[in-house]
Amino acid sequence: MTRQRFILLTLAPALTVLGLLAAVSTAGAVWFSLMNRVLGSPDYEFVGLYNYLRLLRDKRFFNALEISLIWELITVAGTLVVAVLLAVLVHETVKRALWRNLICFAFLAPVLLPRVAAAFIWRFLYSPSLGLLNWIVGEAGLGPVEFLANPSLALVSVAVVDIWQWGLFFTVILVKLLETMPRDPIEAAMLDNARTWQIHAYVTLPMLKGPLISLALVKAVESLRSFDLIFVMTGGGPGTATETLDLYAYQSGINLGGRVSYASAMSILLLIVTTVAFTLIWRASRKWSR
Amino acid sequence: MVPLILRILARLALGLLVLIALAPILWTALGAFKELRDIVTPVPKLFFTPTLDNFATILGNPTIRDGLVNSVLVVAASVGIGALLGIPAAHTLARHMRRRGDDIQFFVLSLRFMPPVAIAIPFIVIYLDLGIYDSLGGLILVYLVTTISTMIWLATPAFERVPPEIEEAAAMEGCSEAEVFWRISLPVAAPSLFGALVFTFVLVWNELLLALTLAAQNATLPVVAASITSLGKEVPWGVINAATVVLVLPPLFFIGLLMGLINSMIRSGGRTKG
Repeated sequence: MTRQRFILLTLAPALTVLGLLAAVSTAGAVWFSLMNRVLGSPDYEFVGLYNYLRLLRDKRFFNALEISLIWELITVAGTLVVAVLLAVLVHETVKRALWRNLICFAFLAPVLLPRVAAAFIWRFLYSPSLGLLNWIVGEAGLGPVEFLANPSLALVSVAVVDIWQWGLFFTVILVKLLETMPRDPIEAAMLDNARTWQIHAYVTLPMLKGPLISLALVKAVESLRSFDLIFVMTGGGPGTATETLDLYAYQSGINLGGRVSYASAMSILLLIVTTVAFTLIWRASRKWSR
Repeated sequence: MVPLILRILARLALGLLVLIALAPILWTALGAFKELRDIVTPVPKLFFTPTLDNFATILGNPTIRDGLVNSVLVVAASVGIGALLGIPAAHTLARHMRRRGDDIQFFVLSLRFMPPVAIAIPFIVIYLDLGIYDSLGGLILVYLVTTISTMIWLATPAFERVPPEIEEAAAMEGCSEAEVFWRISLPVAAPSLFGALVFTFVLVWNELLLALTLAAQNATLPVVAASITSLGKEVPWGVINAATVVLVLPPLFFIGLLMGLINSMIRSGGRTKG
């Protein structure tokens, strides 16, 4: 077998399958978005850009767009803040390798949980009548808090679960990164009598700028896949207080009458927005991390 | 004196945080062994007479048993095919495609940016038209996007870390490319590849949206679990807790491997990746 044929044989099947599936789903979504197709009814016709025009007048769509943006901001910022603070805390207080590894194991557990399972665990904790959290809140003298039924609390309550999973996971990564840092600049700062927090704020964290930006990017991509968590915990409610774009697309495309064409138009817009946003962020992050 | 107090405080805070990390999981595990009357109490109970009823309910329930079987079939097939196609491709990308490799890798990575709804909705219509809606095969096909791209993404750096000298030496001995791959690169990269396999497994095992939209009748375990709450009026919290435990066990089993993957990624690639 020649080298050329070996390369072709190993690469072609994987890339063909990936390319075909990606092309079929994208082309399919574009095509269906130009129709007025509804699941369960055989008749449909070409309506051009009607679905897109209707989206621009859909208040619920803009609400979902706003919720999605807020969700991205809260979860990405929350995850990074929690991870940085915790990693520094672990790095400074736990010096024995055994204890450090045990803590890392504990912090890895939440991210491995299926999102559906994590959602159930926290729904149980949040429950107003029998949840552990509300018992603690009650003992502290505050009435039962409707974590998931209160429109102004629900999104944050769900975000806490996401940050619980990813913040602790990123903590482990940052602890490992802090361990592999060169010692010289830190020792130089210690000779200058810098305080511990100063060393981290001005020396170690700036040195970790590159990895931190990559982690933020990974989290931003992962935060787009929040459907499972929100679907199980609130189903988008109360009202539309936690309805992100993928939830709305699911509700209108499958649950409520199956308006697949309308949902296709929505997913195409979602695809364009995320592709443009991530290409821009990707380029910018390359520049910053240099 | 002050530094000592600060250090004790820091340790206490850390202990509390470890508790916060683990308590939700432990509390659920505890709840799985409780009878409903031990769960529905005004003051949470730490001590109670344990029962296996909840697990019996789960394993006796045909929907959940089918869900388990469906999950195992779908995950095994999609991860298996993903590895079969992805690993050789990753090796070729790492070794033989220095120039165009980057573009292909970016294409593979960009598939991860795709919102899952943007895949789910067109495939519902296509599968309905083709008459393969609600079939496990259709679900496996769509999961291949995730498994193949993740395998390539994680296995390419694993092959890049194989020292080229051994491969060159084998080639000098007269081994063909296929033999070099099979006899040398694959065994050397095996530990990292195993980590990639596990990561892919966890991703697919946990997936809800595509399973819910494309195979609601042949539900996988996450779909079944997500629908338990709507069974009857009284919420069967004990059963839900037990179902959560069953769902959680396989991924948690791999926690050590994930740790190893993080360690090897950071040690070898921390700088270049960063």
